[in-house]
Amino acid sequence: MDRRDFFKTANRTVRAKKTGGKSQAMLFAGLAPYTGSWTVNEVTHLLKRTMFGAKKADVDYFLSRTPDEAVEELLNTSFIPAPPLRDYGLLEDEGVWYDDLGVAIGQTWVNDPNTASFEGIRGSINSRRVDSLKKWWSGLILNQQRSIQEKMVLFWHHHFSIQSTEVENAAILYRHHNLLRTNAMGNVKTLVREVTIDPAMLIHLNGYLNTKQAPDENYARELQELFSIGKGNDSLYTEDDVIAAARVLTGWRITDIPLGVYLDTNAHDTGSKSFSAFYNNTTIAGSTNPDQELDALMDMIFNTTEAARFICRKLYKWFVYYDISETVEAEVITPMADVLIANNYEVRPALSVLFKSEHFFDVLNQACYIKTPFDMIVGTLREFNVSFPVYTDHVNGYPFFSNIYGQAADMQQQLFQPPDVSGWPSYYQEPMHYELWVNSNSLPKRADFTDALVNDSVIDVRAFAGYSSNPADPNQLIDDVTALLLRYPLSASSKTYVKTHFLTNNTTEDSVWTSAWNSNNNAVINTSLKDMFRFLMNLPEFHLC
Amino acid sequence: MMNRRNFLQHTVPLAVTMPGLLNGFSFTADGEESPLARLLEQTLTDTDHVFVLVQLSGGNDGLNMVIPLDIYGNYYNARTNVAIPQSQVLRLDGTDKSGLHPAMTAMQNMFNEGKMAIVQSVGYDNPNFSHFRATDFWNSADTRSNRRERVKTGWMGRYLESEYPGYPDAFPNTSMPDPLAIQISNFPTLMAQGSIYSMGLSITNPEKIYTFANPFSDYPLNSVPANKELKFLRVISEKTKIYSDIIRAAYQRAATMATYPTENGLADQLKIVARLIRGGLKTRVYTVSMGGFDTHKKQVNASDTTTGMHAKLMKDLSAAISAFQDDLELMGLDERVMGMTYSEFGRRIKSNASLGTDHGAAAPLILFGKNAKKGILGTSPDIPADAQVVNNIPFQYDFRSVYASVLEQWFCVKQPALDSIMLRNFQSLPLVTGPCGVADDPEDNNNAAEKLILKMWPSPYTINATVQFSTNGGNTMIQQIDGLGRVVKVLTNQDYAAGTHNLDIYNDGLASGVYFLRLQNKSLQKVISVMKMP
Repeated sequence: MDRRDFFKTANRTVRAKKTGGKSQAMLFAGLAPYTGSWTVNEVTHLLKRTMFGAKKADVDYFLSRTPDEAVEELLNTSFIPAPPLRDYGLLEDEGVWYDDLGVAIGQTWVNDPNTASFEGIRGSINSRRVDSLKKWWSGLILNQQRSIQEKMVLFWHHHFSIQSTEVENAAILYRHHNLLRTNAMGNVKTLVREVTIDPAMLIHLNGYLNTKQAPDENYARELQELFSIGKGNDSLYTEDDVIAAARVLTGWRITDIPLGVYLDTNAHDTGSKSFSAFYNNTTIAGSTNPDQELDALMDMIFNTTEAARFICRKLYKWFVYYDISETVEAEVITPMADVLIANNYEVRPALSVLFKSEHFFDVLNQACYIKTPFDMIVGTLREFNVSFPVYTDHVNGYPFFSNIYGQAADMQQQLFQPPDVSGWPSYYQEPMHYELWVNSNSLPKRADFTDALVNDSVIDVRAFAGYSSNPADPNQLIDDVTALLLRYPLSASSKTYVKTHFLTNNTTEDSVWTSAWNSNNNAVINTSLKDMFRFLMNLPEFHLC
Repeated sequence: MMNRRNFLQHTVPLAVTMPGLLNGFSFTADGEESPLARLLEQTLTDTDHVFVLVQLSGGNDGLNMVIPLDIYGNYYNARTNVAIPQSQVLRLDGTDKSGLHPAMTAMQNMFNEGKMAIVQSVGYDNPNFSHFRATDFWNSADTRSNRRERVKTGWMGRYLESEYPGYPDAFPNTSMPDPLAIQISNFPTLMAQGSIYSMGLSITNPEKIYTFANPFSDYPLNSVPANKELKFLRVISEKTKIYSDIIRAAYQRAATMATYPTENGLADQLKIVARLIRGGLKTRVYTVSMGGFDTHKKQVNASDTTTGMHAKLMKDLSAAISAFQDDLELMGLDERVMGMTYSEFGRRIKSNASLGTDHGAAAPLILFGKNAKKGILGTSPDIPADAQVVNNIPFQYDFRSVYASVLEQWFCVKQPALDSIMLRNFQSLPLVTGPCGVADDPEDNNNAAEKLILKMWPSPYTINATVQFSTNGGNTMIQQIDGLGRVVKVLTNQDYAAGTHNLDIYNDGLASGVYFLRLQNKSLQKVISVMKMP
């Protein structure tokens, strides 16, 4: 069955429901609720897409819920983490060692203006704080709740694409990150509004230099192109709209202590700004009130249907698949955007409809997502139930989190440093999209990572084998571990290959493995399992989720 | 050596199965015949030429790279706070019209030694100011702004696919034992994208070892998307293993012979390229890149505009390419290699208040190598005396004319393949010497273009006007370009007899303002500015 056939079926369902008078189903044609079976397969699909990896314990947990309950629980992002901590000691400048006098080790620096210490060392303090921020978020991703939260925060990070090398200020970066985190499952329009005047964004796209004498179009352009309207075929805003939006946003400035923003009315263009027919020829009257023009701009942008569809397309590519055909556009994106608009841009109801839909669970949307570096690294560690320190452990945890951060960066997913203003190309660059994650450069790094997990005994292969309902039976063992590790199934003959090569010592006798397992022959069991897991994680299938 | 036709006969089963594989994939945007069918008729071009593409990401400020000396006053007035002082501009042999940024001494020498060409005001008809949209245009060589209409392949990808159909499945093989293209990058770019796979290989560490074993080839899941991705992963795994061994061996066979600048990312990449060529790879295309060109702010230091971010970029670019050229000469490979810089756009004529420049349109482009025709093709860009914030440089040469000329003159690509790769016909410009090169030099071309008549009266005009132009015969086109750099009207585009002709304009419906007329006749072009009054 290909996608087209699927939609033919979906359309038939809709027609049937129409005659039955169910108007709800008509509205959400491609988003008809999922009513199929609820097994390890479906739960794992949902978890791998909304979290990083599907742990056995999480799979079991959600198996005991209904699909609706599972989705609602995953969409709960109420967990508020404690802020990042100082994890660095004395810092050197020209042979002299200085302390960060603003914050003690183990305390958070997020509210400290970095003015207490020796001036020559403040730059180093700032860099160390940025480093600790990166470790902290990596630690939170590793220690994620049973929630979509971290993947959603990462989505917004991709969306707004702030780079630490541009912002270069720990307090401002944390403030930005916290803004994304707080609004991750909240209101899109509110989030875009707040990000527009967020110090990190004002720096990142030059808003703080935008002045009525010389309007700087950088943010106004990306606001429309990358953050709200996009460049879809129905996006018809003009170059003049970019210039007009830049004028609306003139004059926003940053204060360092306390960290904040204000509208400098001397630098703000108080003339009226006219927009094109795409925005219904809206005119925004000039004002020195800091909220008035900004709110009018947001109203104007988010009154377009295109804004809702654009966000939904990005969410779809992030969570489902990158190929948005005309049918997906009509049957999924359009109704999802209608939900977003009907809920005044609250993102949760729209995602809820998506994740509860038949379309999301359709076999055609399973196993077609190429793992991101964080899916690969954190997902694998979590699935093997590797224990790591809690995210607040700045002594033992932060060095480990730093390693995770570095591994992901090496595989092209660097937190706080997306490659450019448009985020990670895997979500927009046609035709390859996700495929860009895997190439002759990154694939060897992925293999090195999983090989090292096995070789260095980071993962306990024996414990993982223990997840099987009957690990002594090589067939059952392979069925069970591949069901947990691989979203793309192995055929019967492939499983036989695995069994023969790794468990039964190149014989056809299952008893070779059974007796080794039952006699607790550690040497044989550990070597066999290590070879098998190393092999499984090198399979192309392992990169799909 | 086995020729293309023989080779394909040996791999017929593969060719037969390809359409099945392609089912559901967008092959070409135009829905044209399958390139494979066409290519079955073709033979592999016998060439040992190598082309190196240097991408300058972020939009290079071309006006501060190649500085117009003949209209220095207008240049200076438009961007006083970032302008390079006239006395510090590096002079180039044989011209007093343009010079180089003071940090580019190494390239100044290359130019004077005849190893470099500059093409002025390279752009296209509908400039896009978005980084990634404009980058897509340059990499695909398709400037249609509708994403669904635009091809999803890269221009080099199409070229390589036309030379090596069946890649990657049937490769490597005896006629092409090496990667088709190598991108020194973390991931493949659209430029090397073929109809399904990237025709290039991304590497950052040529000595990386990848051991891979995948005995499985079946697709037990009944799902087109999952199977597409699994096939992709299997192919990449297999080819990564094969090609990483080939690349490592070549790299280890050779050493660099010149001294490269240190702490220069571009030089580090070009070093790898030089070793791989020297190591014997038959790879035809390499790509390297350099970022940091999005100089909205602080592109110069206020105290000295010859220093700052852009100066550092110019120095790194110049020093890296010059060292690479030296290396190739010492290796005895300079006859075989040439390269080109490109950036998604130039920057605005007028600078901003933050010591920077915003996104612009056309900009100069550099070709380097022993076989690049020495000289500057085209004239200094047309900078108005009172440049406004929105004013852009009108293009003199379409970037695709540069690509087409490289394919034609360096890789000896013949028609109709050339038009098929480039999606349509483009001007052939005198850029390359050698067996497939053209006789003219850039200066001959400039002189011939200078002789063409192009004028309008009255000027300024209000409602009616007459355009007078001369042509050497054949297809002649006149485009009208607005102050933003966009083609707003094509006044004529047809065959004319050699001679002088008049063209009348009646009430063209255009808003008042600055416009440019661009005349194109075969390899010649000429741009003049005109003004429409209310």
